Amino acid sequence: MESLSASSAAGVLLDLSGVLILLLAFACLASKLFNRYVVYYGAQSVVLSFAAGTAAVAFHSTELWILAALTLAVKGIAIPLAARRLLITRLALKRDAAMSTGLSTSLIAGGALTAFAYLVIRPDLLPHGTVAAAVVPLSTAVILLGSLSMVVRRHTVAQLIGWLIVENGVFLGAITLVATFPFIVEAGIFLDIVAGVLIMVVFVSGLTRQLAEASAAELRELRG
Amino acid sequence: MSALAVLIALGPLTGLAVALAGARARLAGLAQVTGALVAFGCALALLVELDGHPPLAGWDGFLYVDPLGGFFAMTVAGVTLLAALGSVGYVCAEEDSGGFSGFQVRLYYAFFGLFASLMLAALETGNLGLLFVLVEASTLASAALVGIEGRSRSLEAAWKYVIISSLGVTIALAGTLFLFYSGSALHLGSNLGLTWPYLFAHAHALAPQPLRLAFLLAVVGYGTKVGLAPMHTWLPDAHAEAPSPASAMLSAALLNAGMYAIIRFLAIAHARLGGTYPRAVLLSFGFASIAIGALFMVRKGNFKRLFAYSSVEHMGIIAVALGFGGTLGLYGALLQMLNHALAKSVLFLSSGDVSLRYKTREASQVSGLLAAVPVTGGALLLASFAVLGSPPFGLFLSELTIVRAGFASASPVFPLLLLFLLGLAFVAFARTTAGMVTGQPPDQLTSPYRSKAVAVSTAAPLVLGLAALLVLGLWIPVGLDTVLRHSIAVIG
Repeated sequence: MESLSASSAAGVLLDLSGVLILLLAFACLASKLFNRYVVYYGAQSVVLSFAAGTAAVAFHSTELWILAALTLAVKGIAIPLAARRLLITRLALKRDAAMSTGLSTSLIAGGALTAFAYLVIRPDLLPHGTVAAAVVPLSTAVILLGSLSMVVRRHTVAQLIGWLIVENGVFLGAITLVATFPFIVEAGIFLDIVAGVLIMVVFVSGLTRQLAEASAAELRELRG
Repeated sequence: MSALAVLIALGPLTGLAVALAGARARLAGLAQVTGALVAFGCALALLVELDGHPPLAGWDGFLYVDPLGGFFAMTVAGVTLLAALGSVGYVCAEEDSGGFSGFQVRLYYAFFGLFASLMLAALETGNLGLLFVLVEASTLASAALVGIEGRSRSLEAAWKYVIISSLGVTIALAGTLFLFYSGSALHLGSNLGLTWPYLFAHAHALAPQPLRLAFLLAVVGYGTKVGLAPMHTWLPDAHAEAPSPASAMLSAALLNAGMYAIIRFLAIAHARLGGTYPRAVLLSFGFASIAIGALFMVRKGNFKRLFAYSSVEHMGIIAVALGFGGTLGLYGALLQMLNHALAKSVLFLSSGDVSLRYKTREASQVSGLLAAVPVTGGALLLASFAVLGSPPFGLFLSELTIVRAGFASASPVFPLLLLFLLGLAFVAFARTTAGMVTGQPPDQLTSPYRSKAVAVSTAAPLVLGLAALLVLGLWIPVGLDTVLRHSIAVIG
């Protein structure tokens, strides 16, 4: 597979998308409202789909076109819509209070992790001047930021979004590093994500209902 | 031969089919046992067919079974059979007592079949991307089993399991990407290029730096599924909250499937990077797991958590054996995997019977098992000794092999440390189980099973598993020895 040079038009666009995706991951980390999490995740997926489209043009690859379309449809539209409908509206979630660190601390940690990603990936792993050398540290940083938001947030919905951000980071790396998986594998990965989100939504709803019942029971016991 | 491989993966789906048709617990259970029996029979037949033949490969490398994959498929199918036998009694009793609704029974068998089938399929593919897809899918199916009782504790355990494992497996996907990237020089354009046999055969052309990262990410990622410390935190909760036959599947089949993926990456890393780096990685994670497993076993409490920590410990032992390497180390690791799978199936299945009868999962509230329920109590006692590595059971032999491999390969500090930790685990584990089997049983114990036949069906997997463990401790059948040697030849 030929590797894309960083100075070509496609290379610059991919690099730019990578930066945007990283910024949106930071935005998610800095946010406290459940609505925003979903909006930022959706926007990130749209940018990711644009990046996949760019790579598709550069590599003349039909599989990447399909990947771009799937990303837009599933991650950009379907999952954010479903998350809003099934979780945020139905469970009346507004403000995320269950954090183990303050926002500023987690942002500083996020900055440190980004620097760490550059330190680890830059030196001798990837050939200089290729777009992969520019984008893979970005995607590693996105993976780390997603993991960080899963660690510092204790609310299940926030953790779910964190996992989806990690997944986006891996995909960003995938389109620049290897460019193509066989189609059946791509389709399988998307199926896994959809099934994963569905099953997690079931667990989250069940847990929230049980918690509500438990607290209602406590309230009844304390009467009079 | 392809037909056999397909039958292995599709066999366990009988449970899903019958459950979707709306069968009740007994019929669905029998269908599941039949399916598992078909899968196990086909796995044995495939192993015989593979003897002296080149590995089975087809469909652009999506299907690939060599003796190593065949050996794992046989182990997983065997565990599925034992767990399916155990499910018959467990689910019938839960249905009769009102613990499971009809919908939950159907859900149980649907996901049980799907889980087994996805795991078996994962062992039969050569494409590393598809391996990821199937392992992740099996996580989701098994998470549904963990949360099936629907109480807040089990939902919480299921949530913890699904979120940690999904994150872990995603990291393994990143590792897979770096592995493909390390092969840039090979121009991996075609589907065949992304398969394990191709990458292994061309390991010399892989770039070493990305490969190191790929191996580390794969061990962390798939190691999360295996339950290697410090990524093991989901494991005790999930094993404790799942219905007992599903716990047996998690501990004895799923952990092995994760280890299988690590072995595939290890083989490629070993061929290109030499022994030092993979050994350092595996010994670190392995000893951390043994130590954590042994230390957490000291605490008395839920006996299923105890068995779960013992799984963490044993997966650590296997990782250490893989780290020691050499023919002896690999032989010991594979044998240990088979033995541990058998012993842990017996333990978790007998724990299911215990929790149905005593209506508790706390070890301190269980006593006099041997007097009250001789078969289950005896099985629990013998399997405890087996899992701790006492003769004459199989684990004694495999752990001895691993310690010998340690003395042969690394500095003697490592095998001595291993022996010390094994001793610690022995005391911690036996302290709890001895209290459960001895003493006076409580007065008001009733059998949870409605018919004699169902009660017998719960004893069957215990006796079968123990018999196999005993045979493996006294003598390794010639066929098994050949399979193990061929498996080692594939990766070494």
